[in-house]
Amino acid sequence: MSTHRIECTVNGESHSLEVPSRRLLSDFLRDDLHLTGTKRGCETGVCGACSVLLDGEVVKSCLMLAVQVRGRSITTIEGLADGEQLHPLQKSFMQCGGLQCGYCTPGFIMASCDLLRNNPCPTTDEVHHGLSGNLCRCTGYTQIVESVLQAAREIHHGN
Amino acid sequence: MREFDFLEPASVQEASRLLAEHGDDARVIAGGTALMLGMRQRMLAPTHLISVARIERLHGIDLDARGWLRIGALSRHTDIARSALVRRHAPVLAEMAAQVANPQVRNQGTVGGNLCYADPSTDPPGCLVALDACVVLGSSRAERTLTMEEFLVDYYVTALEPDEIVLEIRVPPQAAPARGAYTRFLRTAAEHRPLVNVALVAQNDGGVCRQARLVVGASTPVPRRLRGVEALLEGRSVDAPLAAQAAAMAAAAITPLSDLRGSADFRRDMVRVVVLRTVARLFGLDINEGVAA
Repeated sequence: MSTHRIECTVNGESHSLEVPSRRLLSDFLRDDLHLTGTKRGCETGVCGACSVLLDGEVVKSCLMLAVQVRGRSITTIEGLADGEQLHPLQKSFMQCGGLQCGYCTPGFIMASCDLLRNNPCPTTDEVHHGLSGNLCRCTGYTQIVESVLQAAREIHHGN
Repeated sequence: MREFDFLEPASVQEASRLLAEHGDDARVIAGGTALMLGMRQRMLAPTHLISVARIERLHGIDLDARGWLRIGALSRHTDIARSALVRRHAPVLAEMAAQVANPQVRNQGTVGGNLCYADPSTDPPGCLVALDACVVLGSSRAERTLTMEEFLVDYYVTALEPDEIVLEIRVPPQAAPARGAYTRFLRTAAEHRPLVNVALVAQNDGGVCRQARLVVGASTPVPRRLRGVEALLEGRSVDAPLAAQAAAMAAAAITPLSDLRGSADFRRDMVRVVVLRTVARLFGLDINEGVAA
């Protein structure tokens, strides 16, 4: 069966790898590039734990093949911090307790990045809709939503 | 997931020839959101995936000289929701596209892929029927244009021939005062697939309804245009009692699906509620559903 050379940018770094056609983007990131921040959850497009940014837009990496991202730019949770300086969303999830076991957190933060990029000052209802592709089985969501609103305030004031 | 070859034709002709050659062992991949699920769950095990991403004709959204919107089959739901052209010429379509599934699926899934899958529990088909849209199909033989109602044949069945792909969707210009309303109902807030949806495109001529196109989706195997209800509304001043009458008529007119997601009786009653809400919204009526919000 066919293999393909994948040239893409992940967290600002260029990669060129030969992978089989059936390699999922989530497996490509975790197993080939060893970026294990992106989680495999349900692997059926339900839970959103594998969410990453593709050319700045959130997608589920378990529903995408590595061959579909040739020439494109991917951002994973590992690419958000600026050196030791955490991204405002990473800080707010810590400060507001937007996690318990933490497994869904990378996916929630990537989805929140997309949400705040398109809507820098969302309402609570808009946060609910923006995170509707992600599941958390611990927190009950209240503190996740508060984390996103807090990050929005911080980014807004930071500017 | 089984192994497969990933093929990337650059033209409609080449894609069509590959489909003809590999027959049932091949599947077309656009965004892949639905196909990956089917393959991962081993409901499908194609030996060849034919990616249409490199075919230029399938990309882009534009307006032709006659005022028709041309929406390339590879337009993602996000592209349609954000397109200035769609928002200006068919705002109800943009409103609908912004509600499909969840942000991740909207950023990856395409309208062409959505139509070809012909899943009843989805948003775009009913809205496109209400807008009187057409689907342009291509193959190495010829191009042909079908109405949405001709294209959607049955539960997960389309009129596509084995060697055909969807090239684009065409939406005719809407009469100047025409407005649209699209309403979906989810069984629970965590669901992404509508149990019922209703699309209504009509002229609100000072409260009088003209040229309505009312379509119920997701509760029937293919979206159902309700011509009887349209006739009831035609030329009438729409008030709350007429809206309620139209909603009851719509509920009686359909033969609902009955499955794990909702019984036929439940769906029929929710069709009534959603038609009422949709008519009320388009005609600015204040309705009392008899329940607390």
